[in-house]
Amino acid sequence: MTSIPTLETDRLTLRAPQAEDFPLYRDFYADAEGSGNYGGPLRPDEAFRRLAADIGHWHLRGFGKWIIVFRQTGTAVGGCGLWHPMGWPRHELTWWLLRAFRGQGIATEASRAVILFAHRTLGWDRVETHMRDTNQPARRLAERLGGTVTDRVTFPDGVTRDVFLLPEGAA
Amino acid sequence: MTLVAAIPTLETERLILRAPQPKDVPPFAAFYASDAAGFVGGPLDAAQTWRYLAEVIGHWTMRGYGRWIVTLKDEDEAIGLVGLHYPLDWPEPEVGWFMWSGNGKGYASEAGRAARDHAYRTLGWSTLVSMIAPANGASIRVAEAMGARREDDYTHPRFGTLTVYRHPAPEALA
Repeated sequence: MTSIPTLETDRLTLRAPQAEDFPLYRDFYADAEGSGNYGGPLRPDEAFRRLAADIGHWHLRGFGKWIIVFRQTGTAVGGCGLWHPMGWPRHELTWWLLRAFRGQGIATEASRAVILFAHRTLGWDRVETHMRDTNQPARRLAERLGGTVTDRVTFPDGVTRDVFLLPEGAA
Repeated sequence: MTLVAAIPTLETERLILRAPQPKDVPPFAAFYASDAAGFVGGPLDAAQTWRYLAEVIGHWTMRGYGRWIVTLKDEDEAIGLVGLHYPLDWPEPEVGWFMWSGNGKGYASEAGRAARDHAYRTLGWSTLVSMIAPANGASIRVAEAMGARREDDYTHPRFGTLTVYRHPAPEALA
């Protein structure tokens, strides 16, 4: 039985996704603009299944996505983690935030904790991410994390993406 | 640390109902690649099936109950998916089953009864339906073998008409 650890940063707690996170998923995926880079918008029943799949990913892989919560207020604002569904050739560090909470360095702070976890706890020697050329916010974040483009790959969906290697102890 | 999902193991005369595992993906995907999966949302490719199995596992965390992988007692190979299912777009929780191996031996109703007993005895539920595609005669026969009675159809916004079978109440089975 897989357990999901809790990670702490200065401002954030990264904890296991739970049933109570459904409103967060529903609201995020109802926002067509905010969820456009994440397969959204989704209906509420699809958001429910997305949350269930994010939880099940932990069980099938032993790693997955956390919920990002402000330590002081307990407010859940998004997610961050490591994602590698079957049929997809590479893992990725991934993050998503309600639009109201973007631009505060939250994704960067959460990502650093996840990169560290991947190296130190999972024993990975490589953490990477990839994104569509049009996804500028994701590209900027990868660069802010000290990422460098190591590959350019055409994925099973036919989209060619840059692959960033994200260093441990990113600046 | 938070457990992904607490999934109990059930045992019947011939079967084990247990938590889905990564090794169940190949047989599950083989079923979902076939036309036989047409009544239960298929066909799906391997990647879609993997995601679907992840949803099945996450459902346990979301609802506190869910569906089990069914195996024979002496062989830990997945032959079906049976259990309690309540996605957001369902009118009420249902007990559902599909078997991709060993059909015609009564495994679906044997596993379905174990899931129904779990709902009534462990979860304390007082009623239970099964919602079945109208053309899925094999599944309808399982519902009837379990003593369920047909009610008015339910029209799902996307899946269309589903035949509703209501199971005997707990006291009727006691």
